[in-house]
Amino acid sequence: MNPVTVSYAPHIHNHASTSHIMRDVLIALSPALAGSVLIFGMRAAVVIFMCVASAVVFEWGYQKIMKKQETISDLSACVTGLLLAFNLPVDIPLWQAVFGSGVAIILVKQFFGGIGKNFANPALTARVVMLISFPTAMSTWAEVPNAVSSATPLELVQTGALQYMPSNLDLFLGLHGGSLGETSELALIIGGVYLIARRVITWHIPVSFIGTVYILTAILGEQPTVQLLAGGLFIGAIFMATDYPTSPQTNSGRLIFGLGCGLLTVIIRVWGNYPEGVSFAILFMNCIVPFINKLTMHHALGGKKA
Amino acid sequence: MDFSSLIIIMMSAVLVNNFVLIQFLGICPFLGVSKKLDSAIGMGLAVLFVMMIASAATWPIYALLLAPNGLGYLQTIVFIVIIAALVQLVEITMKRFMPALYKNLGIFLPLMTTNCAVFAATLLNVSAQYNYAEAMTNAFGAGAGFLLAMVIFAGIREHTENADPPACIKGLPLALFSVAILAMAFMGFGGVVENLFG
Amino acid sequence: MSRYAILIKGIAKENPVFVLALGLCPALAVSSLVSNALGMGLATTLVLIGTNTVISILRNVIPDKVRIPCYIVLIAGLVSIVQMLVQAFVYPLYLALGIFLPLITVNCIVFARAELFAKKNKPFDSIIDAIGTGLGFTAALVAIATVREVLGHGSWFGIPIPGLAENSISLFSMAPGGFIAFGLIIAVISKISKGRAAKLKESGCASCPSCAACGKGGAE
Repeated sequence: MNPVTVSYAPHIHNHASTSHIMRDVLIALSPALAGSVLIFGMRAAVVIFMCVASAVVFEWGYQKIMKKQETISDLSACVTGLLLAFNLPVDIPLWQAVFGSGVAIILVKQFFGGIGKNFANPALTARVVMLISFPTAMSTWAEVPNAVSSATPLELVQTGALQYMPSNLDLFLGLHGGSLGETSELALIIGGVYLIARRVITWHIPVSFIGTVYILTAILGEQPTVQLLAGGLFIGAIFMATDYPTSPQTNSGRLIFGLGCGLLTVIIRVWGNYPEGVSFAILFMNCIVPFINKLTMHHALGGKKA
Repeated sequence: MDFSSLIIIMMSAVLVNNFVLIQFLGICPFLGVSKKLDSAIGMGLAVLFVMMIASAATWPIYALLLAPNGLGYLQTIVFIVIIAALVQLVEITMKRFMPALYKNLGIFLPLMTTNCAVFAATLLNVSAQYNYAEAMTNAFGAGAGFLLAMVIFAGIREHTENADPPACIKGLPLALFSVAILAMAFMGFGGVVENLFG
Repeated sequence: MSRYAILIKGIAKENPVFVLALGLCPALAVSSLVSNALGMGLATTLVLIGTNTVISILRNVIPDKVRIPCYIVLIAGLVSIVQMLVQAFVYPLYLALGIFLPLITVNCIVFARAELFAKKNKPFDSIIDAIGTGLGFTAALVAIATVREVLGHGSWFGIPIPGLAENSISLFSMAPGGFIAFGLIIAVISKISKGRAAKLKESGCASCPSCAACGKGGAE
């Protein structure tokens, strides 16, 4: 076997650089963390704690049993656990939350060789697994103070119960039914701006993803502002779709990726059985990232076309 | 029969009831030939092609010969013999008249006889009581869905080649976990086809 | 090889599904419920016994050059008979298995046993080989179905398991869960057998008509 490992950029060389990135992501997620506890109460904190703790324990336990180098200090398991919790309803049974963490860390991440080797985003895939496995629990939403109905705004759109729709300001602040971390766009945008300023992510995926959803829903005669603020679009576009190993490496590739995510999100939201399409859209695009990379990769001058 | 029902049949076969990802048909070639993109495309095209001609031949024979004479129980034997004969015929014709195409698809053709996806497509056309146009559309959709899944999966496998899984996961289990994730991505399309074109 | 060894190797050491990775389509498609898996396994065993017997008896009659077409017709004929038997006596199973019943015709396990064993052995040994392989296939299907039904439906053979029935993980009753359950079982077997099982024996592939395509044994 070839001892030299060739991988695409960004080359994450060591522990230190990974943990720096992950620390920035955790900082960027903290406004949403505060928001979710403020909106949904203490049970939100319990769910978040269970997800993060079990993700770290799964990672540590797996690496112990498999006699692999321990990597929990790179904080990536914390990020995965936190992102998963942000995608769950507040009343989710805790064993299901722990099951989700196990799927994310072991099945999607460690089985594929650990950090940087997985082709699908762990937290996102775990959410899809849970959506398929526990359809009732994953769509049972708690009452939110201030909001008229506990249904998510997208469910209100799907069922046509628009009289219960919160105001745009409430949508933006997150005072409506939904998953823990997805409701407050204000908190998510603060985190996104921080990540872009720190150069952890680039603007390409979030902007093309969100922009595509806005333009397409406007063309289709939906309410584009509601479509933007109602579901998991911002958390998906800023935190899930921008994950390094599962998104394209070139900026033009990122634009295509965001465009595809937006297109599929709108298709599933408008015509599909599921009210929300962000997770399925990103997961599908994760699967075709190798082709986007091939299409947009720059070839060195004089180099042979791959 | 209207045009939109044909589109629904085709798109359902590609996305919602994808042969490999959702219906578990043609798993062996799917797992075996998806390591390289070139062979994945070759295999996918061969399946698509043979599925079409097999459906084109078996449907009329069932509808005009077997069913009216109460010989429906001969379906399994008659269909597999027709497929085997067609595959031979295609191989000979292609070798003689289209050597360039034969070079690319030739090695996959003999396998089509025992490819369960091809056989299943011909059986499904009959059991779903499709008319001829619907049967051909279904065959095209099923083949195109197989090709699509095959190509995407080949891309994923090139990525997972760099993966460093534990010894007991390497190979088949890792491939199966990858297919599972791809299959879940396809499940998001549930309802889309009926609502969009219906 | 003793007759006992012939019987036992198909079940464990050369298990068609878990060791040779053959017949994956039915193993995944009809394994969401234990009852269907058992029915499929036994139907396939019947076909195997039939084909192995006939091919072994006719092994000196069938010309080598046209043996593959002969096998195909023979297998398809026997599958049709089994299909009718199932339809007549176990109609619910007939409905549950759907097109996977006629698809036994293209199950490479049946081809593999014809080509590798029945072609060169006496009828009685061939029957034993068919029973062993068939039971191995059945056991594998039931094992996968056990995992999938317990997790996905919270029941086993239709009997609800208290505590699990209300907390089932329905993914396992669907397509992705089938792939995951099968992958996990193979990983566990490979771990227990220290990697020996993962190495596919050439014998399983060489005879399979999909050999060149599947790339496990042949050209790619």
